[in-house]
Order: sequence, then structure tokens, then C-alpha cells
Amino acid sequence: MTDMRVTGAVRYSQDVEMKGMLYAHLLRSPVAHARVLRVDVSAVPEGAVVLLPENVRDLGRYGPQIKDQEALPQERVRYSGDVVAAVAAETAEEAEEAVGLIDVEYEELPAVFEEVEAASEGAPLVHTTINISKNDAAYFGIRPQQGTNTCHLFRLRHGDVEVGFEEADVVVEETYHTAGATHAPMEPHAAVARWDGHQLEVTTGTQTPFNMRMDLAGLFGIEEEKVRIISPPMGGSFGAKTFVRTEAIAACLARKAERPVKVVLGRDEMWMTLNRHPATVRVKVGARSDGTLVASETECWANTGAYADCGPGVAQKMGFAAPGPYRIANVRVDSRAVYTNLPPNGAFRGYGQMQSTWARERTMDLLADKLEMDPLELRIKNLLKDGDNYCTGETMHDVHFERLLQGAVDAVGWSESRKNKGLCVMLKGMQTPSRAAIAVEAEDDGTYTVRCATTEMGQGAKMAMCMMAAELLSVDVEKVSCPDPDTDVVPYDTRTTSSRSTHMMGRALKVAIADLEENGERGYGEVVDEGGLDPDTGQGVASSHWHQGAAAAEVEVDEETGRFRVVKLHAPIYAGRVINRPAAELQNEGSMIMGLGIALFESNEFAEGQITNANLSDYNVPAMDDMPAALSHELVEREGGEVQGLGETALPPVPPAIGNALYSRGIHVTELPISAERVLDAVYARDGSGDAWAKASSEPISADGRNAHAGESILASGPTREPTPGNGTHSPSDQGLPGRVKPLLPSPSALLLLGTLGAGLLAIVLYRLLYRRVEAKKKSPSVPQALRR
Amino acid sequence: MKVRFNVNGEAVEVEARTDEMLLDVLRREVALTSVRQTCGVGVCGTCTTLVDGEPFSTCIMLAPLAEGKKITTVEGLGGNHPVQDAFVEAMAFQCGYCTPGMILMVKSLLEEDPEPTEEKIRQYMGGNLCRCGCYAKIEDAVNLAASASKVAPSKGGA
Repeated sequence: MTDMRVTGAVRYSQDVEMKGMLYAHLLRSPVAHARVLRVDVSAVPEGAVVLLPENVRDLGRYGPQIKDQEALPQERVRYSGDVVAAVAAETAEEAEEAVGLIDVEYEELPAVFEEVEAASEGAPLVHTTINISKNDAAYFGIRPQQGTNTCHLFRLRHGDVEVGFEEADVVVEETYHTAGATHAPMEPHAAVARWDGHQLEVTTGTQTPFNMRMDLAGLFGIEEEKVRIISPPMGGSFGAKTFVRTEAIAACLARKAERPVKVVLGRDEMWMTLNRHPATVRVKVGARSDGTLVASETECWANTGAYADCGPGVAQKMGFAAPGPYRIANVRVDSRAVYTNLPPNGAFRGYGQMQSTWARERTMDLLADKLEMDPLELRIKNLLKDGDNYCTGETMHDVHFERLLQGAVDAVGWSESRKNKGLCVMLKGMQTPSRAAIAVEAEDDGTYTVRCATTEMGQGAKMAMCMMAAELLSVDVEKVSCPDPDTDVVPYDTRTTSSRSTHMMGRALKVAIADLEENGERGYGEVVDEGGLDPDTGQGVASSHWHQGAAAAEVEVDEETGRFRVVKLHAPIYAGRVINRPAAELQNEGSMIMGLGIALFESNEFAEGQITNANLSDYNVPAMDDMPAALSHELVEREGGEVQGLGETALPPVPPAIGNALYSRGIHVTELPISAERVLDAVYARDGSGDAWAKASSEPISADGRNAHAGESILASGPTREPTPGNGTHSPSDQGLPGRVKPLLPSPSALLLLGTLGAGLLAIVLYRLLYRRVEAKKKSPSVPQALRR
Repeated sequence: MKVRFNVNGEAVEVEARTDEMLLDVLRREVALTSVRQTCGVGVCGTCTTLVDGEPFSTCIMLAPLAEGKKITTVEGLGGNHPVQDAFVEAMAFQCGYCTPGMILMVKSLLEEDPEPTEEKIRQYMGGNLCRCGCYAKIEDAVNLAASASKVAPSKGGA
């Protein structure tokens, strides 16, 4: 039998149909912060089931780390896209029409969107009190700062940074900003809920079946065993399908309708449900003149949006890995998850590492420049080695940073020339503490069934489980199956996140199979990784094993326009031992391509908190023709090495490697994505040409006069993203290259016309440049005065 | 209204609203769940089907326009079409959600150009998005399918 993915036979949760099922549509707030004064449903036709705030008033609150979410907000809506009411009807169209007939009156309240501003005194409060969740996803010390928008403050203290900076011969400091991005899984969020008396069953593509069960049980005030979560394969997730998304509303509607209810989100609603944290990161690093790092200070603001989700966890990981894989005697980190009136931000491939790695690795190059050292040499001099202590106090084992970095630079020919080339090295934690359990059942026909809560989102987890089990059982892989997780059947597991499953479950599997060999029918295995950090000092064990990665990039830059191309990208990561090579390669390639999108053009754009590019036409994700001519990677293994998770490791090093490649030309970009406009501004800043736009306006008008949307000019695939008008054809055979300035023939009869057009164009360009400048000013993160030391 | 077309070699007559897209009708009336929605605006290629042999984004094609047309989805390729085999051999997928659209697009590409260059592949496939980022292996699959087709001409599916 061929793979179900090529026959289209995979059934995702959006394909689930049940007898008597209704379809839901959600009514979302257009405003970012408001009191809901009135919801008038009198125009909704009879037969449609309407869920209003008053119908869920008796329910509890939920949230994986902070208990700040309600089935429907009772008091006020906190972001543009917050769900005000919901309708279930016989068809999705009827539900949508009914939602359109609901009239809502809002009283707008002051809102705050930017993380540093939101964390400052006097900012409008998104939540008046901050209560820590009892969900086991709140597994580390969470430190809400009551009376502020900071729902978690993580601190790391190692040595004395004041002393360290005094010892330093050279100190560099910079503040960085990274835009919000969206996961954009090809399959949207979809869930079907049904009740059988007091028992709730939800079929939903989720990475976190047991966390979902806990939150839904808490919401309805029922025992966890009364909630059953079934998780079919996901059409991509990347962190999006974690914790409760649409499931609470589906369950509330199903309870009211007394029928199964299905929720499938529209593409635009994906941006209103969960995104990646925009972040501001300030880094200060000090070194002796020989390059020895002596002090590192990092301050992170992770913009978690209107509901915390796992923002505290993201801020913690962004913080504890911020100093990077270096030996530094004096380290201080303050990392905050900050509420704002943006849509919630949560887990996203890389989990906070991308943001702080961008800031630190760019700063390392600034430092190298100031020390007049080779950036590679500076890093190698300070890299952690086996047996060294990290700034958390834990001892590092199985360390391969130097090998990874060397592999990265060799691929771009670093030793021949450093121009146009950049590099990055980083470490990323795996969730610690963590517990995994798995059962293996021997069937009568000689086959084996692996039962575990590890979910499949395309990463190949099921196949990895089957392959590892087959190897341990010495049977063909065809003899082993791994059904979809069902919380009624599988043993408890923390969740399928942080690239932990193959590593943790693989170890539990060994125990289970040893147990099976003893008793013959069913083997059970469990592993527990202890550890964790003190949230006020950051001391302890941050990660029971560290993901290690590096990258190098080579770019080609057109300094007239700011347009640049990544021509070479290479990322070596430590893999320990590879189970399924093609699947492991896919993880690396996928991470790098996602990292490329984040580096070059992915950016959620908002106006007064309202998402303005919530579609895949205005929000670009990388396509095949965006790939660098040379994209390669390495899975570094070690004889007797442990199985390592590798779902994310190759993503965070990509943007800094590209940023540093630009910096090899003195082009210093601090914000992601690295748009052509930002490059151009950095070129002007380097050349000391002062007022960038004044110079730009004297440039020929062939400079990309299109809109300032990040990276648009880098894409070679503009035409393929445009829907072909008329018949909806998707044929690329008639694609030209619209969107490019085409050479005009100097026909004499057209000269007059050209002159007129030219003057008009010049006026438009001048206007746009001026407008862009104003926009850019608005967008630049407002760092409070206190930070500008 | 009634719409009649041929899908994967079978003549069907389905009920559709005049403002409905072919994607929704194929899923609801013909139960072809390999045809999947992602962007809804014709830019991602996930819902690609072949209409009289040409790739179309069915999320922006009105269902009544399918009247009298010959429609092919991956269900109609039989499972061992050279392009499907090439995708399996190259492991050119992760979650599999975009795979049916990719396969149909590759089929169309190779019919148009049996030996596409790297540039041609990347440009032609540039309208089919894969968020898992399997592009390198999809490119491998195109090349594998191209060489397989040279040895044994495509069975052609529906």
C-alpha cells in the first residue's frame, strides 16, 4: 500500500463528520479593547444555536500557564478578533449568515500594542489580576507582576555583571526588534465536540491532548476522565495547535445544541487565534581586548498578546538561552512576557530562541568588529566545551558547538573571504522537567501496537516510534502500528512540543519493551527528566539536554535598492543518532526554510491592533522559488550518541546568519524581517548620508517604488501568488514577471507621454518615501528613556 | 442548480449553489477530501485539481463553471502514478496536506515539459506552498518522476 499522503487519503480533524453535526461560525470583535454593552441576536433566524457570554457565565476559566481565558469574554474584549459570540447551524453558510445578523455595541477602551510600552508604568491594563493556572503546562515558577501587564518575569543572575562590565575593555550594546509572525499551517484549526451526558469528546488536531483535557475539564468543572481528546494527524502545526484554541467554544456550542458541533476556522481567523511573539531584546556584552567575554546583560520583552497562553514559558526560554553557548563569568537576564491588546502569541517553532538568538548573535558581530577580531575566532574562543558550566550552573555534556560552527563556515568558504558572509551558533533548551510514558501491546497475530500521546503533525513521530520499536523488538517495521492518540487509551504524556518526543518517548519505549519481554502481553515504560530553574535566579537545570545548532549564510546585495538575495545557506545541527534519515533531513530543511521566511519577509502587520495582512497573498510564506540556490545542512552524529529532537534547531540560527552576512558589509539591521527598506536605511546609516529619504529621493525612480511591505522586493515569485483573474486558472505557463519595472522602448512618439508619466511617478515616489518614513517612525519600537544608557 | 461533470473518469451530477466554489462541491457532493482549502484566494495551490488537464485553484473557481468539464484529483491517479511513486521515493512530504495539489501540479509540469530545468521547476511550482518546507525533496521528486517517465511513459491517470 502506498503512502496515504500521496493518495489524499489522510483524514485531518477538518474532515471529521458526525451524524446530526452542526457547523459553527464565530463573531469576533473588530476593536482591540472594549466593553461589550449589548449583543442583539433578535435578527438571527430560529433554529440557529447562539452562544452568548451569559450562557457560559457559570463556567470556569482556563489557560495553560495563566488562567486568563473564558469560553466567551464576560467583561470586555481584549483584542481585535476576540470572540464575542458564536453560532451553530445546519450548514457553515447558515452559521456565517446568522453571525452577520448579530448586532454588537462596544464601548472602546484605551489599548496598548507594543511590548515595551505595555510593560511600562501607566500602560492600560489588559488584565486586572493575574492567576497562575493549575494546568501542568504551568510547570515552572511563574512570576506575575500584579498591577502591571507583565504576566511573567524570569530572572537569571550569575556572577556580578557590574563588576564584569568594569573589567571589560570593550562593551557593546544594542536593542533589537523582531516582528510577530504566523504559523500558517496549511490545515486551519478544526475541532468537533460532542457530549454524551456529562462526558465530553473532542476530536481535534492538537499537540497537547492531555493539557487540553485538563483545561476543558476545569472549564466545565468535571473530572478529567470525563473528557476524551482524540487527536488525528495535523496538516501542519509548528506550535499553533497547542492548548485550547477553538475546542472550548465547540464544546460550549455542542452542550447548548445537544448535538455535535464542528468549528473550522477561516484562513484570516488563524491570525486572530495564535501567532508568534513580537519581541524587543536589548543586549549588552563586554569583553577583554583579547576577546574573552566577561559580562552579558539581556533584557527581553515578549509580546504575548491579550491572553498569556504559554507566553511565560516562551519568555523563560527566550531568557535562559539568551546568553548563548558561551562561557561568561557574569550574566544577567530579565525576560518578561507582557500582555498587550494584540491577538494571543504562543508556541512557535524555536520557542523564543529565535528572538534572543537574533539579538545576541548580531551583537557578537558588533563586538568582533569593535575588537577587530574574526567573528568566528571570537566565538570559538568563548564557546562552551564539555564539562563547562552554563550560566544556569548546570554542567554541559555532549557539547559540539565548535564542530557545528566549523561545519557552517566551511560550507561558505569563510577562510577565503568573509565578505557577504555571516554565521551564527546557538543552543536551545528542551522542556525540563518532563515526563513521558508509552505502552506496547503484543497482538495475537504477531503484530505490535504502540500506544502513546505523541501526536503527528508531519514531523514523522509515528514512523519514528514504529521504527524504534521494530528495532528493539527485532521485527519488521510493518509489524508495528501507532494509532492516533486518544486520551482514553494512551498513557499520560507531557505533550508533543519542544522537540522532545523522539528523545523522551524513545527512552520510555526501551523500558516498555523490556517490560513487554518480561510479561509477554503489554509493556509499560515511563521516563522522568528532573530539573528546572529557580525563576528568580535562573539557577538549576534549564534543560536535561540541549539542542545545538549553527548556520552560515552568503548574500548578494544591491546597495542602490536595498534588495538582497541569500545565495548560500548551510546549517549543521547536532543530531546524536538519526532514526529516520529522510524525515530528519525534512525537519532541518523545513526549519531552515521557515527561518528564511522569518528573516526575509514574514511579518504580521497591525493597524490599531487590527491585523491588516491576514491572508496568504499579503502575508508571504516561502515558496519553492524563494529557496537559495544552495541550501544545505548537516546532521552531526556521534558514535553511541543519544537520539536528539531536531524539529526546531535549524530555525533560530538562520536569521542572525543572514543579518551578520549583511553586517560583513557594515549593513547593520536590528529589526526582523530584514526588508529591502531596512537594508537601504542601514546602508545610508553606514555611509553617514544622514537623512536617508532625502538621498533616496535623488535615486532613480526604478528603485522599488512598490509598497514598503517587508521583503516583497526579494521575492522572485510575486506573480505566482496573484490569483489569476477570471476563470481561476492556476496555470503558470502564462506567467510573465509583473511587478517588475520593465524597460520602456524609447519610441519618439512616446517621449511626451513618458515625460508626463515620469513626473507623475516621481511625485508618487516622493510621496511614498515620505509616507514610508512616517510609517517607519511609527513602527520603530519605542524603547523607554531608561534603556538608552 | 444541477451541475454535470466528469470526475476521475466517472460522470456525476451534483447539486450546487451558483455562488459556490468547486472546492466545496467536490468535498461535499463527491466526498473528494484530497481537495483541501488553505488560502481561499487562489494563491497557495493546495486545492489544485486538473480541469480538462489544466491545473486550477478550485477555491476560486465557481462550481457551475465545471459543467461538462473533465476533472482529475489525486483519487483518480490510482496510487501508483509515476509522480505519486516519486513523491514516496523522495519522501517529498511531511503532513501531507498540500501533497495532492503538489502532485497534480507536477503531473501538469511534466506533461508540459518532460525534462524541466531547476529554474523551471522552481518557477512552475512556486504557486504551490508547503509550510512544512519540503521543497528540496519535492524538487527531487520532480526529477525522479521525470526520469521514470522517460523509461516508462506516464500511465496518465484519468
